Amino acid sequence: MKAKGAFLPDIVAFCCAQSAYQSADAAGSMRITYPENIRVIRVPCAGRVDVLHILRAFEKGADGVLVLGCHEEACRHLSGNIRAKNRVQRVNTLLQEVGIDGKRVEMFTLAPNQGPRFARIANEVNERIKELGPSPVKSGA
Amino acid sequence: MDKDLRLGVFLCDCGGTLSKVTDFSAIKAKLQKLSDVTYVGISHDLCLKRAQQAMQKDIKDKGINRVVVAACSPELHEKDFMNVVQSAGVNRHLLSMANIREQCFWAHPDKDKAAQKAMAQIGMAINRARFLEPVEQTQISVTKEVLIIGGGITGIQAAIELSNLNLKTTLVEKEAALGGKLNRFANLYPVQVSPEEVLATKLKQVAEGQNIYVLTSAELLDVSGEVGNFSARIKRGNGEFVRNFGAIIFATGYTTQFSSQIYGLELSNNIITQSQLEEMLKSSSEVKQIPKSVCFVTDISDEHSRVSPLSALRNALGIKEKFRGEVCVLCQNLKVDGAGLEKLYRDCRNKGVLFIKFDNSPRISKQDGKIKIEVEDVLMSGEQVTLPCDLLVLEETSVPPLDSKVLGSTLYMGLDAQGFYQENNVHLYPTASNREGIFFAGNCHADLDLMQALTDASNVALSAYQLLAQGKIAVEAEKVMVDPNKCRFCLTCIRACPHHAIQEAKVNHEKMVAQIADLACQGCGICAVVCPAKAIKPKDWSDEQILAEFELLGEYV
Repeated sequence: MKAKGAFLPDIVAFCCAQSAYQSADAAGSMRITYPENIRVIRVPCAGRVDVLHILRAFEKGADGVLVLGCHEEACRHLSGNIRAKNRVQRVNTLLQEVGIDGKRVEMFTLAPNQGPRFARIANEVNERIKELGPSPVKSGA
Repeated sequence: MDKDLRLGVFLCDCGGTLSKVTDFSAIKAKLQKLSDVTYVGISHDLCLKRAQQAMQKDIKDKGINRVVVAACSPELHEKDFMNVVQSAGVNRHLLSMANIREQCFWAHPDKDKAAQKAMAQIGMAINRARFLEPVEQTQISVTKEVLIIGGGITGIQAAIELSNLNLKTTLVEKEAALGGKLNRFANLYPVQVSPEEVLATKLKQVAEGQNIYVLTSAELLDVSGEVGNFSARIKRGNGEFVRNFGAIIFATGYTTQFSSQIYGLELSNNIITQSQLEEMLKSSSEVKQIPKSVCFVTDISDEHSRVSPLSALRNALGIKEKFRGEVCVLCQNLKVDGAGLEKLYRDCRNKGVLFIKFDNSPRISKQDGKIKIEVEDVLMSGEQVTLPCDLLVLEETSVPPLDSKVLGSTLYMGLDAQGFYQENNVHLYPTASNREGIFFAGNCHADLDLMQALTDASNVALSAYQLLAQGKIAVEAEKVMVDPNKCRFCLTCIRACPHHAIQEAKVNHEKMVAQIADLACQGCGICAVVCPAKAIKPKDWSDEQILAEFELLGEYV
């Protein structure tokens, strides 16, 4: 169903229900638009996102993965966001090892009312992934 | 995964507004073709009672056993839909939601792309629904008594409020008398009542309260158990005893600290701190040498605290009223962000207090016992001003009480960068701690003035009341479950749990395994990720559910 020609990356965004998910809602409520190819997956805390989840997303054809959690020191579960940050770092290294650009996975922190920030992150990441091109996993390279 | 899946998809076009941008019947037609989808319904107002009753009827009539709702954000009505599902005789956790309003039609003006995204989102929700698991509800009875640590004004207020709500409280104060900081303050401006009067009124209420048990010169040593049934070890004098409580409120306040390094000045008879000045103003005896000119310096060490500028304002006015000398306040940005504080500032101005705003820290020198302050006044375009003064009052920073770190770590509570208690979430749960049933009130977790601290205490009292009033708490049994066959008891989850909700337990009288206390668990799922044996499964956010969501990646884009 994908339009041919222009490359539209598939981006999976794991969003903490305490912050990032609500900021995505806020972006919508404020009618701030962002690329529609971002798939938001609601998680109870960024700390729920496992290395396995991120890798599986790439395996299933994601061109980029975002982990969005609460600002540091504002995690409802104390260290969930910091754990997530470390895991993203880990995945970054793992991807590099198998020859995939580590920049395809990124972590950002937001507050629940930061709708504009959510949209800005989505836009920026979309542009970055577009430049990187389709994930080598997807194209079978 | 159930073999016999009967999925019901309920679409809501938000009062017809979403049908204007997309064709819901086309979405319905597409969804009906998907496997296991038994029923697809379109509603205009699923958030309203009538539509929910219809939804309930549809679930029952069509024998639906998994419900997918595609409507507004789950943040808004997920609980309502769970109730509908439950009343239709299906477990309330067998519901999956697709956010097609905020995160789709509202965010994307391109109609076709939005419609495609909506299909993808509903597809994701359907996939997730296949892996949903039921969670049973049970009730646990609780001790209807609250422990309050700290007998300052915040703790006292919380105790009074709880007593009025007919809940028993025990107020533990480590000093010999209640009152905390109120015993030290000379005045409470902008409140016109003296601290003695405020304290006397509150103490009278405490004494008259039927349900308040005061323990002075006592300390909390340790707490075991979980919300509803904490058992607290309390030390009083040489004795120790253990008592049970349903909830614990921390109102341990703050203390002040002076750091001479910031100024390069040592305290002396004419260079004093705010608290020393407070004592001077409070003492009834005549002061030997009445200072003719007093200078306050604030905003140097800690830009974030409100304690220092507020006490500078209060005491500046206090000096004006008691000694009638010249008073000058050197400040950077005076924060008057509370009820009555703007008036307090204006009162200071009216009484003749001078304010000098600086960008560069003032240079303070002392020659032959005389103090000289040189400062560039921002409001006079940086003109150099030299001020001689008899008495220099330096600011103090507010820091957590010495024992709060120890208490925090014995109770597994989070501390912020300055060592104050960290709330669960500053925006969403400002009075709750990271552990269920433990609350923070007053300055032990936030920078508050008196009125705000009282409001905070009342809020916390209500939260504790809400928790315990019924005598029992509804709980979702095993919403996060440990598989005893997989658990190797490596303790990783016990260390990682931010809410101290995991304990050890014995299965079949032999093997030790981790066990999750349902009441204390807040369902973050951190344990499930750290478990090396993958023995832990959060039923609402299982790996299968999360992975199922991006099964369809790329298909609808």
